[in-house]
Amino acid sequence: MTATVNKIQTSIKSLLTVFLVVAVILPLAKMLALVTYSDLGAVLTSPRLWRAVKNSVSVSAAASFIAISTAMLAAFCVSRCDIRNRRIFNVMAALPMLIPSVSHGMGLIIMFGRNGVLTNILGIEGSLYGFWGIAAGSVFYSFPLAYLMLENILRYEDTSPYEAAEVLGISCARQFMSITLPYMRKPLASVIFAVFTMIVTDYGVPLTIGGRYVTLPVMMYEEVVGLLKFGSGSVIGALLLIPAAVSFIFDSFTHDIGNQSYLAHTRRLKVSRVINTMARIYCGIICVTALLPVLSFLFLAFVRKYPWDMSLTLYNVTNSFRRGAGTYMKNSLIIALCVATSGVIMSYLAAYLTARSEGSSSRALHFASITSIAVPGIVLGIAYVLLFRTTFLYGTMGILILVNLTHFFASPYLMAYNSLNKVNRNLEAVGMTLGVGRWRIIRDVIVPLTASTIVEMWSYFFINSMMTISAVAFLSNVRTRPLSMMIPSFEANMQFESAAFVSLLILAVNVTMKGLMGIINGILRRRRELC
Amino acid sequence: MDLLNLPVKLQARGLTMRYGANEILGGVSFDAKSGEFLSILGPSGCGKTTVLGILVGLLKPESGSVFKDGADITGVHPSKRGMGIVFQNYALFQNMTVLGNVEYALRIKKETRGQSREIAASIIERVGLKEHMHKKPHRLSGGQQQRVAVARTLAMGPDVVLLDEPMSALDAATRLQMREELIDIKDTFGTTMIYVTHDQEEAFALSDRVIVMETGKISQFDTPENIICNPANEYVRDFVVRNIELKLKSLTKYINNKI
Ligand SMILES: Nc1ncnc2c1ncn2[C@@H]1O[C@H](COP(=O)(O)OP(=O)(O)OP(=O)(O)O)[C@@H](O)[C@H]1O
Ligand SMILES: [Mg+2]
Repeated sequence: MTATVNKIQTSIKSLLTVFLVVAVILPLAKMLALVTYSDLGAVLTSPRLWRAVKNSVSVSAAASFIAISTAMLAAFCVSRCDIRNRRIFNVMAALPMLIPSVSHGMGLIIMFGRNGVLTNILGIEGSLYGFWGIAAGSVFYSFPLAYLMLENILRYEDTSPYEAAEVLGISCARQFMSITLPYMRKPLASVIFAVFTMIVTDYGVPLTIGGRYVTLPVMMYEEVVGLLKFGSGSVIGALLLIPAAVSFIFDSFTHDIGNQSYLAHTRRLKVSRVINTMARIYCGIICVTALLPVLSFLFLAFVRKYPWDMSLTLYNVTNSFRRGAGTYMKNSLIIALCVATSGVIMSYLAAYLTARSEGSSSRALHFASITSIAVPGIVLGIAYVLLFRTTFLYGTMGILILVNLTHFFASPYLMAYNSLNKVNRNLEAVGMTLGVGRWRIIRDVIVPLTASTIVEMWSYFFINSMMTISAVAFLSNVRTRPLSMMIPSFEANMQFESAAFVSLLILAVNVTMKGLMGIINGILRRRRELC
Repeated sequence: MDLLNLPVKLQARGLTMRYGANEILGGVSFDAKSGEFLSILGPSGCGKTTVLGILVGLLKPESGSVFKDGADITGVHPSKRGMGIVFQNYALFQNMTVLGNVEYALRIKKETRGQSREIAASIIERVGLKEHMHKKPHRLSGGQQQRVAVARTLAMGPDVVLLDEPMSALDAATRLQMREELIDIKDTFGTTMIYVTHDQEEAFALSDRVIVMETGKISQFDTPENIICNPANEYVRDFVVRNIELKLKSLTKYINNKI
């Protein structure tokens, strides 16, 4: 029984809804409203646009295909075979997620570019810039998302049909076709949409490694930042909303967003020795590959000028700090801390209200909370420029915090929504009869019960704010610039060594944060199991 | 116990309730005598939980009132009614120990630390959980968890305790044992108990009087003997009496076969 809803709750609900509408929907509306017929005509008839569309779609399709198939294989290995050190593998596979996408483009240049480390060792010919460069960089940075989603799907698959099939002597291939595929169809479609959207709206990779192969996000960036053509930027922004919007609609139709089902029966199936060995080798290769960019950064960051002057030096460290890495790091930390803290409070409150009270206002808030998932950072960035250009917020740290908060709101919200839905629904009612108010129960019971989710939400906000460049590229200035923005500017000046050092710096902060969160979660778990 | 001579403890008068266009309760009236064990028996969705919610003040009735000791308490805050409720899934505070669960509300009520602990400990002992006092609920059995929920409610000193299908998560043996204990607790603490269930046998075995509910209204309100001897209508006969007869028949058959 949900205890009667009071006025305070209703007003917090409306406040949050209004906030999200102003932060997500209003900027988008402004952007779409600014599109004029002449802009629309000019952009839609320009061959450059259609070339960019074609480029974007083909390179994203290729990269999604590669990322998802390799991730699928890895997910199968981990969930079905006997992989030693499963946890280490999961950490390694997720490592590329802690590095900005611009760095992945750069990592490839360092390894495979003209005079790249591996190019020279292996003696490879051919240019990396363009289609295959973008595809490879995109695979690197979208692999973790694909892997984590697929591994999660496979982990909760009911294994009893396989056991039955085993008894009936049905072959592996038949099992795959008639059990695995039907089960995977809908979740796999979600993964495909998510990965494709992530790649097609990213501009970090194509910016660094695209060369003359222009994709939509890069074109939009050039139009807006280079040529100050906001009108055509908006048209491209609208185009970039399409894939995310389609996947959003698909997800909300196929399954209620944020409601995971839990299957009871998941047992590890028996696998032959040969397959096990192959699975281990494959996972090993994935680990090494995921580590490659990091290793190349480590190598590059401490040489003078690759490949001409290979003397070990701290020059890149001092160079970065002379160029303001210290200040930008401070900016980044301030932004990430503010986003994480305010984001956790707001998304947790929103999730509490939508998960634990009914009515149309809850549904409105739920919808407002998850819409941001359908808005790519780059689109959000330009929309913010258009809406806030004339306000006091523009050019402040505040707008960077606001845009990141909005950009990353949906996932932590859904984490909280899921775990709050699992907390006993009568706690507040019991509290009321005992003379303990709702807010006391939240503080003393519900927050402690969902503490590990809160930790996870906080680190999601923090890490993503540390890495992002998409939305903030349009909104930061010399004073407010976050650390991640130094990477593309070093790259533009061919100072890959310093860019590598900055990437490492961000990685180090994020890894530290992950480690810290791991320790906190360990403590929480031990506390829970105590007594 | 002669019910006729006992004072009325709690009274529901013409309770109605609706969600949107759905009428959930269409005028529910009954009374509970002081120290009575009263059951509300009815199929799923007939409005039993809704009645309890209104009695304890978590839900506002559309019309009708609740009286306790002769005073209208319809608008009184749930914590000021001297009533407690135990939910089907117990709704324990999983992050606190048994002692923590029981003393939590006392502490907030500004009892001193020592006093709260004393009250809580004595009630925990009374419900037989002394050696589990410092465990968290997830380490207890279903029956033990239920006792914690009852103890938590009793700690606030209510004179009416409402129980919403408290046995439904327990196995048959534990249910039988908990029946005894509930009666025992009722007698020790002198509380009036209102017990919601859809198990006919349970209702009839435990109660002084039984309310048989059918979607949103009361079909019959009487002692178990009277309901079995004179079912008020077809529905009561089918839903209650028939079931008990069937059980008796199979029991007789079983016994005959054995002999
Ligand atoms: N918040 C609500 N909104 C709309 N309808 C509701 C709500 N709460 C309960 N109902 C409806 O009211 C009716 C009575 O619900 P109630 O929970 O009182 O039934 P019950 O007798 O306790 O059933 P059960 O034995 O399944 O617990 C049901 O039809 C239910 O669907
Ligand atoms: Mg009920």
